This record gives sequence, C-alpha cells and structure tokens, in this order.
Amino acid sequence: MRKVTIDPITRLEGHGKIEIFLNDDGDVANAYLQIPELRGFEKFCEGRPVEEVPRIVPRICGV
Amino acid sequence: MAKLKLGLYWAASCGGCDVAVLDVNEKILDVAEMADIVFWPIALDFKYHHVEAMPDKDIDICLFNGAVRSSEQESIAKLLRAKSKTMVAFGSCACFGGIPALANFATRADIMERAYIEAPSNDNPDKVLPQIKTQVAEGELELPELYDTVLTLAQVVDVEYFVPGCPPPVPLILKVVEAIATNNLPPPGAVIASDKTLCDECDRKKEEKKISKIYRPHEIDPDPERCLLEQGILCMGPATRGGCGALCINVNMPCRGCFGPPAGVIDQGAKMVSAVASIYQANGEEDIAQMVRDIVDPAGTFYRFGLSDSMLKRKRLQRR
Repeated sequence: MRKVTIDPITRLEGHGKIEIFLNDDGDVANAYLQIPELRGFEKFCEGRPVEEVPRIVPRICGV
Repeated sequence: MAKLKLGLYWAASCGGCDVAVLDVNEKILDVAEMADIVFWPIALDFKYHHVEAMPDKDIDICLFNGAVRSSEQESIAKLLRAKSKTMVAFGSCACFGGIPALANFATRADIMERAYIEAPSNDNPDKVLPQIKTQVAEGELELPELYDTVLTLAQVVDVEYFVPGCPPPVPLILKVVEAIATNNLPPPGAVIASDKTLCDECDRKKEEKKISKIYRPHEIDPDPERCLLEQGILCMGPATRGGCGALCINVNMPCRGCFGPPAGVIDQGAKMVSAVASIYQANGEEDIAQMVRDIVDPAGTFYRFGLSDSMLKRKRLQRR
C-alpha cells in the first residue's frame, strides 16, 4: 500500500501531519491525522499558584 | 541587491511569536519588499521536503521560535541550521525554554500519564499512549520521540542572535528587521534587547528596598505608583533583562521574567533568590522560615520562563 505523508500541515496553529494510505487502485484506503507535539500543560500547571495560571495557560495557543 | 531569503519555524511553542511577527502590521510589507519568505508553516504552504531540497546556507536568516522537546524539533533545528546563514532564537521558548520548559519539573512519563490517562476529560480505558511507531491495518504510523528534557535552541545548534520575549514586542522585532535590512547586525552572540535590568526601565517610584512580608495578589491592593517588589509583591524585575518596555508592570502585573537574565547573569532564578534575600528584613530564623513559606512556588516563579537555560535545567531524573 502506498503512503502519502503531508508534513507539516501548514497555515494553522499547532503541529500536525497527515498520513494517507492508497490502495492498489490509487484510491484512499485510510487517512490518519497525527499530532507530533505535546508540551504537557496538563502536568506542569500542577503545583503552580492558582493566581499564576492565567499567565501560563495563554501560552497553550498564542494565536 | 538580491532579495534576502527568510525562514520562520515553530518548535514547542504556542504560535504567539509568529503572530507577533504579523503584529508589525504594515511594516510586514517592508519585510516582503526586502525578503522572500521561503519557509513559514503557520502562514505558507512549504513542507519539510522543500527545505531539505535547498542548498546549504541558502536561507539568509532563520527566525526559530519554540523550545526543542522532541526528535522532530531537534532534526528540524539541525536542518534549518544547515540551510541558514544566520540562526536567530526568536522568543523566550527558543532562548531559554520558556513556559514549555516548566515540563522539566516533571518527566516524560509523568506528562504522558497525566495528559493521556489521568486527566478527567480523557476516555482512554485501555491506557493507550502515543508510540513512536504504531502498526495499523494499512501499514505503519510514526511519531517523533518526546524527550524527557525540554531544551533551548542553542543547546541543540549554534545560534547567532537571541531575541527574547513572550512574545518579542513589536519595537524589538522592528529593530531586528531594520538591522537585517541595513545589514547592520550586531556581533554574533548578541541578545537583541537591553543589557540592563527591567528595573532600569521601570518608571515606578523606588524608595527603599526593604520588605518584611511577601504578599500574594489577594492579600494586598498594590499602589500603582510604587515599586511592586518594595510592596512585597514578587516581581522579577531585578533578575530580568530589560527591553520589553515594562509592559506587565504598566498594567500593575509583576514581571515574571520572560526576557531572561540580564547581561552577565548565568542563572535568573538564583539572581532572584539573591535579590529577595537581600531586601528581606528578617527578625530571626522563624521569620526567614515564614518568608520561605510565603513564596508559594519558588522554582516555578523564579524559573517561570528560564528553566532549560538555568543551572538547574530540570528536576533530577531517577537512575534506572
């Protein structure tokens, strides 16, 4: 099966790639959206004072 | 003169640095006049293979934002370094690790566990975690390796210039653009900001640096005219490079250090510990212990934007 990779996905905020599998007829058999990015806000906001969180989480997305 | 070739990239970042470039408004047209943008994922549809196909040193200037915390980000940093004459660490994440570097207080395993298993919004009964290689019916899928430690750009490749800020403010970006346009760049290694501390450009009234209590925001109504630190509010001004125009201070918010350490300071957090220790009027050991308790999150406050670049670098990893 042939694989077409679109990497990176552009013109959006965030990281992504798409992997498309083509069957023998050249039709799309399946496609996967992959997110090759994790920063870990879920973890590193723990332990921060609550009043500081509004200054940390805007950096999830600055667009 | 031939047009310059400009590349922009984001690694572990939020996109705010890219938007800051657009915040120069109509001046972006001057940039377009003097430079062709050859790579900029947020705005233009160039792929990695386009960059790979470029001759070495083909890009004149690469503005790289974001920290480096995965194998993909490291390999793109190396690729762009090879293809660029001048590499600029653009923004606090590329310069010092930034907010993503707070992840260095945890491990990759902690982060995966929290993000994909524990977090209440998850629906993942089989506890599936992202894998570098995954077999699916049609073939194999690949993801980059997430590193245990978040790195700065300069910890991965050689960097000519550093433009700090979360994000870099427009006047500084214009300074960079102008320096590029007039071929008037400073000597390599330069940080394009002030060499002095933020306190130096802060207009607040400073009287005597003596405090006897550290306050959290809900415990005090700060005088908008007076130095925040002198009122007992932790402000990173003495340990932070100037050049931002005191943006946070001017809206009554204490500095959190996004411009990194001032010239000559290796460790921003240690500098801040020393600043607090030197102004605290302690009356015996219990008083000192109380002050330490009043600083709720010293590491996360003093190293808010700079953990990767600090002497601490990260939480100690357990030996396996």
